[in-house]
Amino acid sequence: MYKVNSVYTNAGVACRAAMFGLLATVAISGCAEKENPVQAADESATPGDFLVVVNRPNTLHLVDLKQRKVANSCQLPGDFGPATVAMSPDNRVAYVLTNRFENIYGVDVDTCEIRFSARQSQGDERVKSIGSIAVSPDGREVYTHQNPTRLLIDRYEVQPTRIAVFDTAGGLDAKPVRTFVAPRQISIMATGADGTLYLGGRDIYAMNVQTGETRIALASQSVGDPLESPRDSLTVWPIGGVNHEMVRMYSAARFKDASQDMETADYVWGFERIDLATGVAEAKVFGPLEVVLFSGMARPSDPNQFYAALTQLKKFDVASQQELQSVDLEHSYYCVNFSTDGSEVYLAGTFNDIAIYDADSLEKLGNIELPGGDMALANTQVFSRAL
Amino acid sequence: MLNIGKLTRAMSLLALTCSAQVIAEASPPVPSSPREIIVASCSGCHAQNGEGRWFRISDQRKTPEAWQMTLVRMELVHQAKFVDPAGGDSQAALRTLVKYFADTQGLAPAESAPYRYILEQELNTIEQHDTEQFRTMCARCHTGARVALQRRTEDEWRNLVHFHLGQFPTTEYQMMGRDRDWLGLALNEVVPYLNEHFPLQTDAWQQWQSASRHNFEASWRVVGSMPGRGAFSGTMVTAAKGDDHYSVAFNGQFEDGETLEGSGSAVVYTGYEWRASLKLGDTRYRQVLASTSDGGELTGRMFQREHSEWGLRMQAVRDTGQSSVLAVQPGHLRTGSEGSLRIVGTNLKGDVNLGPGLKVLETVSRDKDQVLVRFRAEATAAAGARAIKVGAVELADAITVFGKIDRLAVEPAYAVGRVGGNEGSQPAVQAIFEAIAWGAGDDGQAGTADDLRIGPVTAQWSVAPYTEQAVQDQDLRFAGQMEKDSGVFTPAAAGPNPERKYQTNNAGNLKVIATIEQDGKPMQGDGHLMVTVQRWNNPPIR
Repeated sequence: MYKVNSVYTNAGVACRAAMFGLLATVAISGCAEKENPVQAADESATPGDFLVVVNRPNTLHLVDLKQRKVANSCQLPGDFGPATVAMSPDNRVAYVLTNRFENIYGVDVDTCEIRFSARQSQGDERVKSIGSIAVSPDGREVYTHQNPTRLLIDRYEVQPTRIAVFDTAGGLDAKPVRTFVAPRQISIMATGADGTLYLGGRDIYAMNVQTGETRIALASQSVGDPLESPRDSLTVWPIGGVNHEMVRMYSAARFKDASQDMETADYVWGFERIDLATGVAEAKVFGPLEVVLFSGMARPSDPNQFYAALTQLKKFDVASQQELQSVDLEHSYYCVNFSTDGSEVYLAGTFNDIAIYDADSLEKLGNIELPGGDMALANTQVFSRAL
Repeated sequence: MLNIGKLTRAMSLLALTCSAQVIAEASPPVPSSPREIIVASCSGCHAQNGEGRWFRISDQRKTPEAWQMTLVRMELVHQAKFVDPAGGDSQAALRTLVKYFADTQGLAPAESAPYRYILEQELNTIEQHDTEQFRTMCARCHTGARVALQRRTEDEWRNLVHFHLGQFPTTEYQMMGRDRDWLGLALNEVVPYLNEHFPLQTDAWQQWQSASRHNFEASWRVVGSMPGRGAFSGTMVTAAKGDDHYSVAFNGQFEDGETLEGSGSAVVYTGYEWRASLKLGDTRYRQVLASTSDGGELTGRMFQREHSEWGLRMQAVRDTGQSSVLAVQPGHLRTGSEGSLRIVGTNLKGDVNLGPGLKVLETVSRDKDQVLVRFRAEATAAAGARAIKVGAVELADAITVFGKIDRLAVEPAYAVGRVGGNEGSQPAVQAIFEAIAWGAGDDGQAGTADDLRIGPVTAQWSVAPYTEQAVQDQDLRFAGQMEKDSGVFTPAAAGPNPERKYQTNNAGNLKVIATIEQDGKPMQGDGHLMVTVQRWNNPPIR
């Protein structure tokens, strides 16, 4: 195992290592001098909320949300993008899709040790994955949706898309242990408690990762509702972790009748979700389509409240399909997320700061600035764990 | 096993190579032939497919710009090295290949004619597409012209689809991509469509290959107009340098007397595609012109290399010694008025006759290529476009007589400006407008099909928010500045603006208003300006 470049000095690495070892007392003072954000050992035993996100140039950050500061930063190999992150079940390892949509790195978020890596492009085949990465509930497998192209001597040949299954114990040059042909145009994925892999594309599909058998779990474009236009879902943000759900928004026109008159139609926002504990699928309109919004999710403490953002942060009442509240943001934020108790909203993407809002009042509580550049399309993962 | 035959040939080649090197040392190298360069530069990947044919390369035809883009992409993406086996430089080898491919696998004039706007970088052109599918599958990322200026075999169109999704995998994830089986439609519906409409083999190309070629060494009389600057006239003198290359001396002036003068060089591709690079004053220009089939005229656009929004729509007419009238500047006059007209042509002889109701009061000056006259238009002079004569030579629709302006239009009706500068790599792209006067025509109703286009007139310019959203976002304050006398809009600096709501960039949605005064009363026309973000990839064909 080798260690990626930490943005900290060697002394800093030693400090963090010490935090988990026998020299905790020494480490506390030493790290404080180095401005190491790792907090006192007694606090580390108490579970708290953390957020993981990647920004440019290609740096993974572990953010202590309670302390409002970056707890650790790990420089990843290769180039940036798309920076999609999925967490291991124990929330210790972040699996990052990066290096121009091609490589996967499994990084220990506390030590920056790379525990897993896979170069998806092999031989004459170039493979890109667009935001689709997920980890099995037992943490033993990581899944990507692959868009392969054979680069032949004088031409390209686009190949069928597929799911690649990697063994997380596969080391630093892991190869897929299984592959299955899968639908094209998959942009996010998640795994259910029973191991089912959900693929968000033109519909939401469910795949048995042992057999490759695939079914439609939630009909989206194929729903065939005569009172609704085809749905459009734009997402590269797998964000439902705190709700244990796969969630994405869609926009559509709702027609007054079967004549499908666009002039009299209502334009709406809806969400599609899969309960990852039960596999139950649900699609609901949650409000009027008045502005462009990029990502959204329900409040963990109240599934009837749905929050979404781009240039505004908006709160909707799902039952009444009404907007409850809206605030203008200081700049665009692509990716919404929540504290595990649903009290705070975290906005990320676009620039290099995470904005924190009170989920009740939508008052801004602060910003956490990340060292480095913008997060672009990166998603955030929020979880509670002991440091 | 040793193959004596091969060995002998190899030794012969080695000997030839050595001999060639000796010759090279003694005298300037003779550049390799295009085919030798292809073998040396391309055939490592593109295997030969018959005499003078290579896989993929030989199954497509396109414009010089498109060949250049392909070859440069081969260099940038596939690390192709353009090699002249005779020792010439790599860029010269690339230019040789562009010329060779454009000449032997180009487009006939009739094939490129409908799409010249994109070669001429008339970037505010609104395209009309034959089918909605073509628009959404092809022309949502680049112009339709970029496709329509290519001819390929069906297999080659199929290869192009694979290239697109292989090189740009998000194509099928974007809006108008993710709502359909993009790859299936592209392969099963778009490829046959392209093969039917833009096949490799056409009669037009067959005929053009046997058409006679012309020598473009000549003196040319140039007339034209540059939005934002006005009418232009001048001369262009070209001298042959061999192999369709020419030196160019360019000299002329705008209506206000400002000159445009300098020199450069030109290449003629495919027998009619004139491409020149000129330095006029301190500014570099490009000419993208097409020759008429008789070689007598070059028409097209000359635009600034760094700011292609600034361009002269021009016509260059070969001076054969014959008398011709090419333009009248300005191209319109009002009944009951007096003023001056410049008549531009070649070898002008004889009296100027402006037709009934238009009297030449005085010939202010004349030489063989232009006459400046003062005129008086009778109040009863017939409205409409009319011919004029100089001596026995006539120009139809040379000048438009009008009684009054009934409406004012802004051209382009929809334009795009782009923020730029601010230490970024892209300069701002200006939007340049003209106010076009129209008469009501015979029906007396402005805005109907028989309206009379009078032409560009001087106006005062302003901008206003186009929508209520633009009001709220203060687009007027942030998006840039309109020059009130010229109709030239300069977008503001690029990048997030901390002073702006959401720190957004200086984009804006603006109404462009031209105002003139006629008989003491104001008249307005308006257009639409979208100020948007930079384009990062600006190839010769967008």
